[in-house]
Amino acid sequence: MLRTSAVRIFSIARVAANPVACNAERCMSKHTVYDDAFDARYENYFNNKDIDGWQVRQGINDLCGHDLVPEPKIICAALRACRRVNDFALAVRIIEAMKDKCGSRVKEIYPYILQEIQPTLTELGISTPEELGYDKPELALQSVDDMH
Amino acid sequence: MASRLAVFGIKGLRTPKVPAGAVAMSGHGHGSGAPDFSPIIGKREVVGFGINGAPTYGDRSDFPLPAIRWKESTPDILALRKKELGDWKNLSIEEKKALYRASFCQTFAEFQATSPEWKQIVGVSLVVISLGLWVYYGLVAFVYPPLPETFSEESRKAQLRRMLDLQTNPIQGISSKWDYEKDEWKK
Repeated sequence: MLRTSAVRIFSIARVAANPVACNAERCMSKHTVYDDAFDARYENYFNNKDIDGWQVRQGINDLCGHDLVPEPKIICAALRACRRVNDFALAVRIIEAMKDKCGSRVKEIYPYILQEIQPTLTELGISTPEELGYDKPELALQSVDDMH
Repeated sequence: MASRLAVFGIKGLRTPKVPAGAVAMSGHGHGSGAPDFSPIIGKREVVGFGINGAPTYGDRSDFPLPAIRWKESTPDILALRKKELGDWKNLSIEEKKALYRASFCQTFAEFQATSPEWKQIVGVSLVVISLGLWVYYGLVAFVYPPLPETFSEESRKAQLRRMLDLQTNPIQGISSKWDYEKDEWKK
């Protein structure tokens, strides 16, 4: 909580000092120092050679708690981490989660992410959720409320 | 977390094999110090922290990666995992999907799909409303006496005429709109 407030105050102070920065916040084309540090922190985290599956999952769950769409370079690092821990399902799930993070602007942002991570996907042999047919519901699951 | 542990404790009580509270304590006979959750999760692999550290599975978008895998590690899946160690390009689409379904129950598209239940609710509501209307028409047709004579068009015209003759509400109301000299509505 304290950290959140601190970040907010920092962001307000930054906006007050430079009003233009307000519009550039978390845009893909423009970066502020804070965002670069954020990206680098997560990229380095996933680039850790000795990362294990537990850490990959924790990193992605943390990332999903932020109000942002992660940069493709972070996603690429996470996918490579999945390769190192030999968890294919994790890689597909991460792409799905990142698609979910695009929110209502998924039609604008998701194709960009796919385009940026495509070389990594091809190199590692990861299929996108679309290639696996997971962009539409595949199986139905009976609701627990309807059982018995 | 505390409530989770309490639930596990209760489940442990129900299962005769496990002494009460054993789950919350460090594992018996394992020596690793890790709690033994096998009475609850079977052979499912614990792969992460999940939401709160409890070994539970749930498909949710804010925590996309739950603490345990969805399916137990059967020989089929273990064989697939061995193949997973190699190049992923050699995996067929079916094998990739099997691996995904071993780790996760539902895809994002599945657990975020809107439930079609609203159709049933709207449909049943409309049926009930139409039944009510039929009951009303039935009452009108067979039960209620006919409307009084004063509801006829002639009677209502006569009432209006009388209101005008009495100059009802002459400032802002109906009589203010009547031209008494020409005996017609003002234009």
